[in-house]
Amino acid sequence: MAVINVTNGTQAILTLGNTSSLAEPGAAGGLVVPFVQDITVNATPGTVRYSTLDSTSSSAFTTVNENGISLNLLVDETVFFGEAGNTTNSVAAQGLFDTSVNKDEIFFSVAVTGTGTTGDINISGKGFIGGLAPTASIDGAVFLSPCEIIVNGELTKNVES
Amino acid sequence: MAIRDDLITQITTNLSSYTNFKVSSELPFDSGGNSLYLKNKRTVYVDDLSEEQIQLYRTIDQGTVYQTETIVEAFLTVDAKNQPTDIEDVIQAILNAKSVVTDTQSNEAIVASDIEDDYVTYTFEYTILKT
Repeated sequence: MAVINVTNGTQAILTLGNTSSLAEPGAAGGLVVPFVQDITVNATPGTVRYSTLDSTSSSAFTTVNENGISLNLLVDETVFFGEAGNTTNSVAAQGLFDTSVNKDEIFFSVAVTGTGTTGDINISGKGFIGGLAPTASIDGAVFLSPCEIIVNGELTKNVES
Repeated sequence: MAIRDDLITQITTNLSSYTNFKVSSELPFDSGGNSLYLKNKRTVYVDDLSEEQIQLYRTIDQGTVYQTETIVEAFLTVDAKNQPTDIEDVIQAILNAKSVVTDTQSNEAIVASDIEDDYVTYTFEYTILKT
């Protein structure tokens, strides 16, 4: 057993792409979202609670999973507003903002333990970018924004081999 | 040194109409263990700056945004018993020089006075925050 240390800059890296292969950790052309302050992977099964007359506590059954990725980041101009010349990855070309506005489906991965080493774990899926709310203040000095990926479907755990 | 130079230039400009006051760019302003502003009354001496880098943001990919706090002190001594009639205006003019530094998060200036023997020394402290 060991905790996953994220202090060397290679773990908890979010990569985006308009195809699943572009969104793989370390993929050439993948859009690595920089300046992420924190990232949360939400894998939540939906539940319904119900009560019965013969029990003093409620019961539950599961419904569908509701998954999401949420993060806070410092706004990078190119990643947020797009790199016009990028013909490889439309998410990089459009940037996070236009991809959200256009409601384009994207693929993503979160390199939980890094990448490039056998056994490295990442979580991948597809979904829609939302929750962008860039905020600036003179005390904050730079633009900050929350961001979320509303996952369409299931999250998948991948192990590098 | 640029911030100190800018402050000296602005203080000089702000005091241009107060002909009884001067600004020195001399460093160090110490002679035989005595500060020159005690000897040369009505002359503003601006000290060397001190800087501190504070980590404003740190990100998972090891990106870091630093905030630099720069502190510059200036000194002015005048006669305590017979203070110049325009000393309040002069103090304001020296404080107002803080605005010369641009592209900042904040520009602050405070003044404190200390009376010793028959003179009063005003110590100005400029605090500039930049990112």
